[in-house]
Amino acid sequence: MSIADQALTEEMASRRDMIVCRGVKKWFGDFQALAGVDITVKDREVMVVLGPSGSGKSTLIRCINRLEVHQEGEIVVDGVEMTNDMRNIEKIRSEVGMVFQQFNLFPHLTVLDNITLAPIWVRKRARVEAEAKAMELLERVGIPEQANKFPGQLSGGQQQRVAIARSLAMEPKIMLFDEPTSALDPEMISEVLDVMKDLARGGMTMIVVTHEMGFAREVADRLVFMESGDVVEVGTPEHFFTNPTEERTKLFLSQIL
Amino acid sequence: MSEVTLPAAQRAPEAESVSPGRWVRENLFSSVSNVIQTVFFSLVLLGLLRWVLGQIFSEEANWTSVATNMRLLFTYNYPTEQFVRIWFAAGALFLAVGASFAAWNLNPMVTVRRIGVAVVGTGAVSLVVALISPDTTPSAVRTGFLAVGIGLVVLALAVLKVVPEPHRRQVPFIGMLAGVAVLVCGVLWFFPFGDYGFADGAPTAKSGTIDSSTSLPVTVMFLIMIGTYLAGRALARVIDLGWLRRTMIGWWVIGPAFVVFLVLRDPEFDWGYVLAVDVPMGAAFAVGGAVLLYLLAKPSRSDLARVIGALLVALALFHWVAAFFGWYPMLQKARFSFALVAVAVLLAPTFAGERAARLRFAGGWFGFMVLFHWLLTGINTPSTLDIAAPPFLGGFVLTVSIAYYVMLASFPLGVLLSLARTSKMPIFRVLATTYIEVVRGVPLITVLFFFSIMLPLFLPGGMGISDLAAVFAGYTVFSAAYMAENIRGGLQSVRRGQYEAADALGLTTVQRTAFIVLPQALRVSIPNLVGQAIATFKETSLIAIVGGFDLLRIANSTIPNQPDFLGQKRPALFFISLVYFVVAYSMSRASRNLEERLQEGQAR
Repeated sequence: MSIADQALTEEMASRRDMIVCRGVKKWFGDFQALAGVDITVKDREVMVVLGPSGSGKSTLIRCINRLEVHQEGEIVVDGVEMTNDMRNIEKIRSEVGMVFQQFNLFPHLTVLDNITLAPIWVRKRARVEAEAKAMELLERVGIPEQANKFPGQLSGGQQQRVAIARSLAMEPKIMLFDEPTSALDPEMISEVLDVMKDLARGGMTMIVVTHEMGFAREVADRLVFMESGDVVEVGTPEHFFTNPTEERTKLFLSQIL
Repeated sequence: MSEVTLPAAQRAPEAESVSPGRWVRENLFSSVSNVIQTVFFSLVLLGLLRWVLGQIFSEEANWTSVATNMRLLFTYNYPTEQFVRIWFAAGALFLAVGASFAAWNLNPMVTVRRIGVAVVGTGAVSLVVALISPDTTPSAVRTGFLAVGIGLVVLALAVLKVVPEPHRRQVPFIGMLAGVAVLVCGVLWFFPFGDYGFADGAPTAKSGTIDSSTSLPVTVMFLIMIGTYLAGRALARVIDLGWLRRTMIGWWVIGPAFVVFLVLRDPEFDWGYVLAVDVPMGAAFAVGGAVLLYLLAKPSRSDLARVIGALLVALALFHWVAAFFGWYPMLQKARFSFALVAVAVLLAPTFAGERAARLRFAGGWFGFMVLFHWLLTGINTPSTLDIAAPPFLGGFVLTVSIAYYVMLASFPLGVLLSLARTSKMPIFRVLATTYIEVVRGVPLITVLFFFSIMLPLFLPGGMGISDLAAVFAGYTVFSAAYMAENIRGGLQSVRRGQYEAADALGLTTVQRTAFIVLPQALRVSIPNLVGQAIATFKETSLIAIVGGFDLLRIANSTIPNQPDFLGQKRPALFFISLVYFVVAYSMSRASRNLEERLQEGQAR
């Protein structure tokens, strides 16, 4: 069994591959950010990526929707290989939602316009339909009353929930979370995590880069520990938090737990 | 936004009003060095003022040269019987101002104290003028300034005494404006300035008030502005305010184009040519293009749109090649229109969508084409500013028209150039950078000479371009390069995360630019763009050198050459400096207000 498929239950192993990374390498100048990453994410799986800062976790998920370009290896998303063909990239991007650490909402548009922009112009939905869907999503993340405000008028937690709703409006098959709670005040973290847990229970395929160990333990199907651009260990939460095999994993967990 | 009245204990303490005597002590005479500086610079200031007044009231300065030539300075040879066009244009402007004030409810409260201080200040300046003006000043003028000064100061001080708590009592801005309007109109109607003008080439002077052909329209303008404001406020209670605001924004974008055209077009306009050629061509491109775009802006027809777009680009390029070799004649604006259709068709897949989106896209094209052909027809009317015929357009009207047209045309060009310069495609980047650097490295006057003298030589036979159009084209080319650099600054201020978020949602590059990047970049660029608008307005004076009769040319060479006012340069130059200053300073104040409002918006 390759490292990519470690710790899969039999039921999981039988599911479709949503994301396959094989030998993905990436350099920034002379600095090697990814040193041949192998990972498979199955349909409806929640994978949490852990690791010290600079270990390449963010770079990895940014390569999956081509915000960064990997130089070697291959990335296949839902059966489509990531190449330089712009049409493939746009297709993959519209199927993969992404939530950023800094929210990256569009400050000049209202919450509602932030959410409906992409469905209207990329998916070519009618405005009425897109707005109805957006209100439904705002209901789901718990802030329908903020629809006509601008992002600058919302708290950090509310902004991040709008960002999640914005991604969900594209009806993605996969959601990528890049440290979604790291820029939030402590009292707002749980409101965002609750939305993410709800999403995981609904069967969304997710890759989450986070330092929230409680979330990882409760929601993740598998955890991945990375260091220096390499996958060190893959395992179930139970395996990770009770009996990690690798020394480096033990060291990391002892530092943050 | 409703204001919450807090109980007194929670309010921020009222800024203590400082008595004038204390303010002077604290700010002007607080220490020895401060006293020395105050005295020294006051003397310098008074000396300068006395010198300026000496120039104004010198026996050599014949101010009737300005009063008599007022009509020339503002409208040059514009036929008197056509003046209604200019007043109509001004009326449209005042209407828009009034309606916009109503739509955005721009009616700030002004404290009585602030008005009082301003009036006292004005009165004090008037007194100083009366006291230090040189001996050559006519005694009537000196007495006038003295009387106005004493009157204003006494009046304002009395009001400040009588009105209780003057620093807290407020009046609405519109009320103040109405007061000023009444004052101005009263002076125009009743003050015996005398009426100066030309009759059969000789200056005439009548005693009495200014002719009602001036005072009546001015009064009507004020009435229009205040009337539309009140009507707009009444209307705002009934109709949707958002709709009113969108309408006003739309009007400010395209309305002035129609109004300026009204002023610009020649009284001897060739309606036959316009109806036979200009209108049909504009209509054909507008309607034909709209239908084509409506058909192609369907998501399922994206590939077809790309193919047709590529063919149209090839066709448009071929038209220019044909022009170069002189194969067949074609109006330049037809070539431009073909190129624009090609670009729009290439954009069709980007803006494709359901029926409403397609209709909007096609409608947008229709409006754009109508405006484009309207403007081209207006600016390139064959006899406009033709040197062979006596030029009818000049003076302040020409200055404003050129400045407005240049800003309107160079803005989209500047946006495209700045995008090209920041693009990832090396060809665009190199072309745009070359263009910008070359133009920025050449003096404006050279560009204007090139376009007004050289350009007609390069055009294929049979194709003419009016002098005004040539100046306008050269100026636009110049202004666009600076505009591009200003907008590039705004583009660089858009954070990387905005690009990434747009990419992650699957937006195409064009969509990302149009919906996410540009709106944010332009907002940041506004102060710089207004600064450039002011520069453009002032630099229109350069067209005097290439043959246009603008304010400067009239003041500097037309008036001093009139037999009755030989050599009278100074009064007219003083006067046009004042006109330039008033317009430029108003723009600068408006931009500062806009900046403050935008900052408030961001701080939310």
